[in-house]
Amino acid sequence: MLSVDHLTKRYRTVTAVDGLSFEVEPGRVTGFLGPNGAGKTTTLRMLLGLAAPDSGTATINGIRYRDLPNPVRTVGAALDNDYFHPGRSALEHLRILATVAGISHRRAAEVLGIAGLTKDAHRRVGTFSLGMRQRLTLATALLGDPGVLIFDEPLNGLDPDGIRWMRDLLRQLAGEGRTVLVSSHLLAEAAQTVEDVVVISHGRLAAEGPVADLTAATSTTRIRTPDTELLMSVLARQQITARLVAADTVEVRGADPDQVARIAASASVIVLELTRHTEDLEELFFDLTSDHTNGRVTEVSPS
Amino acid sequence: MTTIVRLTHAELRKLVAARTFLIGLALSIGVAVLSVVADAAVAGKHGTAALGTTGSTNQMLKLGSVCCVAMLVLGIIGSGSEYRHKTIVPTMLAAPRRGALVTAKAIGIAVAGVMLSALTFGLGLATIVAELSAHHIHHLPADTGTLFAGSVIAATLFGVIGVALGYITRSTIAAVVGAVGWVLFVELAILHTLAPHLAKWLVTGAASALTDPGVLASRALTPATAVAVLSGYAVVLLAVASRLVLRRDVP
Repeated sequence: MLSVDHLTKRYRTVTAVDGLSFEVEPGRVTGFLGPNGAGKTTTLRMLLGLAAPDSGTATINGIRYRDLPNPVRTVGAALDNDYFHPGRSALEHLRILATVAGISHRRAAEVLGIAGLTKDAHRRVGTFSLGMRQRLTLATALLGDPGVLIFDEPLNGLDPDGIRWMRDLLRQLAGEGRTVLVSSHLLAEAAQTVEDVVVISHGRLAAEGPVADLTAATSTTRIRTPDTELLMSVLARQQITARLVAADTVEVRGADPDQVARIAASASVIVLELTRHTEDLEELFFDLTSDHTNGRVTEVSPS
Repeated sequence: MTTIVRLTHAELRKLVAARTFLIGLALSIGVAVLSVVADAAVAGKHGTAALGTTGSTNQMLKLGSVCCVAMLVLGIIGSGSEYRHKTIVPTMLAAPRRGALVTAKAIGIAVAGVMLSALTFGLGLATIVAELSAHHIHHLPADTGTLFAGSVIAATLFGVIGVALGYITRSTIAAVVGAVGWVLFVELAILHTLAPHLAKWLVTGAASALTDPGVLASRALTPATAVAVLSGYAVVLLAVASRLVLRRDVP
């Protein structure tokens, strides 16, 4: 399990990560989402011991990365796709890291196979396309067969086949009981891949929990009625906040549509139409990370 | 296997895999052999010492300086290119104990330094023997063995100093330009002329006491003192590099 607790990182006058706390559970693909500059990469770098936090802790299975006895066997990280010496072959890159980690060189060839790079094993990395480097990054992360996997923008540079392959692989890895954390700005793709999300904005937590629960919590019910004033007053008596979005339409956020229908019926409100609108991940993301919602945290416990 | 041993193995693999070391080795041997041939060709002309004289042979035996410059540059490339190509990131993810990483890099370059300087000096010496034999001269200065050992030690320590400079600057080009500029201009061109008593205690001065037959014979610094001075610079710079690597965030 990954655990981030009140993590803060400042660069001169800029606070990149500001008291961030969240946990990532094993067995699920967790999306780590936020706009550019939200602090995603800085958080991942602190988790991996590449940057030192000013305060707070980031641990993997309760241990700081730097203190892990054999980190490659515990955590596989794919942060960027240009961390390669262009003059080395893909296989040599992996063999060097395998040597450092005390892993068999046979495993280097295996992970190249998993990443679909077997025929390019002896090619210099400098000649690789962006997609091939992305696959080599993934192979590097899988080298130690770790239980925790951290990917920063793993879909960048992949063609549609590659994106599907990566999506299936991430699900498979989580299905094997591994902890999988994936940062991405490709929301449509992330929506098809992740089960849980951690959304950050301006270095702070904006939301965390299962995608389905978060989108349900922010869903709206719209009621078209000629009795808008009457409906809003009876909803207010039930502590339900409603707003008029059109001359004949009232919108209620978060409430159960069945409950809204019963309240309307009990007050003899004529209901012409009742519809429920559930946000998709993209709408949720923009809702949570827009400046006017900054500071509000939506947290939903896994169901 | 301990972390240091695994990291050192990896460093040696990197040296071979990236071809930089092999190119550096070839250049070092090439320059050494060509300088011997050139020295032999001009010996006795334009006021230079005649072939076979102590002055001429000493000039040809300055092979250690080639080894030192080659290892200084290779050491800088060895650590600086980790930042240039960002390979420092996967390396530090695999071995997050950064002190061990710097130590292993220094050990790896030291092994490379022994190989490069032994081969360069050995082949340079073989060329000298061949040149002299061709002119029916069959004797070498008595302290050639000391010179060989001194060249290997000096070049190895220059490699370690290069590793430290690469980590300190995190820029291969800045470190190479700065280090070579210091050695050639500040020390050799200025301080050796203006303040020789100070210069002999500096990096190039100490190296000259191990690699230059004329300086070795003059006993400006004894070989043991020169090794101690050079080792001191290497240890101090490596300690500074380790401290910076430990404290800095990885870019």
